Amino acid sequence: MNPSEIIQNNINSLSYFLPELILTGMIVVLIIADLLLKKENSAWTSLLALGGLVIAFVAVLNQYDLGSRSIFNDMLAVDPFALYFKLLFLTSAAFVVLLSIGSVELAGRPVGEYFTLMTALTLGLFLMASATNLITIFISIEFVSVTSFILATYLKTRRRSSEAGLKYTIYGAFSSGLMLYGISILYGLTGTLDIYEIGTKLAASSANSLALLISIILMLAGFGYKLAAVPFHFWAPDVYEGAPTPITAFFSVGPKAAGFALLIRFFNVAFATEATNGEWAAIAGVNWSQLLAVVAAATMTLGNLVAIVQKNVKRLLAYSSIAHAGYALMGVVLLSDQGVYATLFYLVVYYLMNIGAFLVVIVVQDLVGSESIDDYKGLIWRAPLPAIAMGVFLFSLTGLPPTAGFIGKFYLFAALIKGGPGFYWLAVVAIINSVISLYYYARILKAMYFDQQDEKEPASLAVSPYYVVLLIALVVPTIFLGVYWAPLADLANYSVEFLRAL
Amino acid sequence: MLFNFATALVFLIFGGLFVLLNLGISRILQARNPHPVKISTYECGELPEGESWIQFNIRFYVVALVFLIFEVEIIFLFPWALVFKDLGLFAFVEMMIFVFILLVGLAYVWAKGDLDWDKPQSVPAPELSQSYEQKEVTETVDS
Repeated sequence: MNPSEIIQNNINSLSYFLPELILTGMIVVLIIADLLLKKENSAWTSLLALGGLVIAFVAVLNQYDLGSRSIFNDMLAVDPFALYFKLLFLTSAAFVVLLSIGSVELAGRPVGEYFTLMTALTLGLFLMASATNLITIFISIEFVSVTSFILATYLKTRRRSSEAGLKYTIYGAFSSGLMLYGISILYGLTGTLDIYEIGTKLAASSANSLALLISIILMLAGFGYKLAAVPFHFWAPDVYEGAPTPITAFFSVGPKAAGFALLIRFFNVAFATEATNGEWAAIAGVNWSQLLAVVAAATMTLGNLVAIVQKNVKRLLAYSSIAHAGYALMGVVLLSDQGVYATLFYLVVYYLMNIGAFLVVIVVQDLVGSESIDDYKGLIWRAPLPAIAMGVFLFSLTGLPPTAGFIGKFYLFAALIKGGPGFYWLAVVAIINSVISLYYYARILKAMYFDQQDEKEPASLAVSPYYVVLLIALVVPTIFLGVYWAPLADLANYSVEFLRAL
Repeated sequence: MLFNFATALVFLIFGGLFVLLNLGISRILQARNPHPVKISTYECGELPEGESWIQFNIRFYVVALVFLIFEVEIIFLFPWALVFKDLGLFAFVEMMIFVFILLVGLAYVWAKGDLDWDKPQSVPAPELSQSYEQKEVTETVDS
């Protein structure tokens, strides 16, 4: 292509890049607003950020008419798959902004930069969901990582927050180094950075399978770091504990979902060829789906086993979110549209119940000033609504009917059983893990509903109406999607259609 | 494929040998006549004072970061300026947006006081450390 064609392609692509441009503009507006506003008024920037997210949401919805296409000289893809994730990122970011507004942790601190970085993080997630070139994949992961580092250490005067940021940075630098090495090997094997071309080249010629396996494992370091999948999960508990709780809620949903988007797109485009009936075949030489199956089993088992001994609710939820990454990975290993569909569905359900659980943690933290399970004792008598809401979210996280978590897990298991006897062992592991998870979720339930509270504690706690509204806004869909999930299922089904070939 | 890398390997080996060879020849031929002034570190004619491994003010870091950003801006501006006429209005607008975003960043750094140089004399030392300690205490109570 000659230069003027490349420029023309870039100019034409701009109109398909509207949601991202809106977010970019919003970042600049937020910075200027933060400069103009006085320090004590910086909380107003939250409303600006919220407005930007809503406008971007509308812009993403408008993109559904466009169908699938590749933009910016095959650097990014706009397709229903990316749009599904973009809607997920926007709604979760909006919820996190709402959580941040009420949070006591952030009260009194200048928050202009906080909301600017939140918007920037969302933009990074957008790019992750649509990247189709190894360079854009790497840059978008770095974009998300760097903004996450700053957000994790936002309570910089607090020791644990600084520790969280430092650990996050070191692990992040290490895993992106590994990933870059994997990218270089892949580039050496195929001579191209475009994942579609990599896919056709690998399918056409048999590359050295050992070199291919090494490059896959190294690439997995980058994706696994974002998913917090074993063995790249070490940062998660410390970062989740130290970061401001709204940010923890976002980390456990946004970057994780974006990691899944990248993982699914990368493996299914570059390392699989499409066969019939919505099933694909892995390319010859590397059985990456079994590799991912082992990672999934290890992730959920380790997450659940370590969660048992946790005394801090935030840490417990951190390990539980590691375990849930393992569950969601089960859909990816199947090499079928149905599996990806189950994963997409599960990620939305997981977003609702996990943000909900973190919201209850924030509420209790604001009321009691602690994140320890012991301080949840007798919560049902002191603050009934958060306790009941937490019950719903924990039931959903365990996967009990009639909550959304049950439907999400049901789809995953159904896809797994349909995937054939080769994956029965994974289904057994997942079922055992669900039982284990019931045990530690029940510990919180028992503390809240059955244990006597300490006598010196105040008998009842007043929950602010703002939190009541937010809690209801999360509890209702969690139960509703457990009873009537067809719209979400249809949307997820539609979104499995991603850009397969150029 | 692998054969192409062999060229790089040969280049690497010969590059290393070339350096060693020249150092060796210079070692054999050179006249050695050490003198305290001759072996001292060259600092543009000044007498070197103390070690070069000292603690720098953390403020240099911020200045370096800001410098880096505008350095990158210049790198983008040079090629743009060369083909400016051929690219037309679109490229001009695009570059103005780019410069504007960076200027907002500069304004932000400036307004937030990150470009103000610390003047340690202006605040008496004991007062500074005391207020810092108080801040620490309130923070721990918070958390």
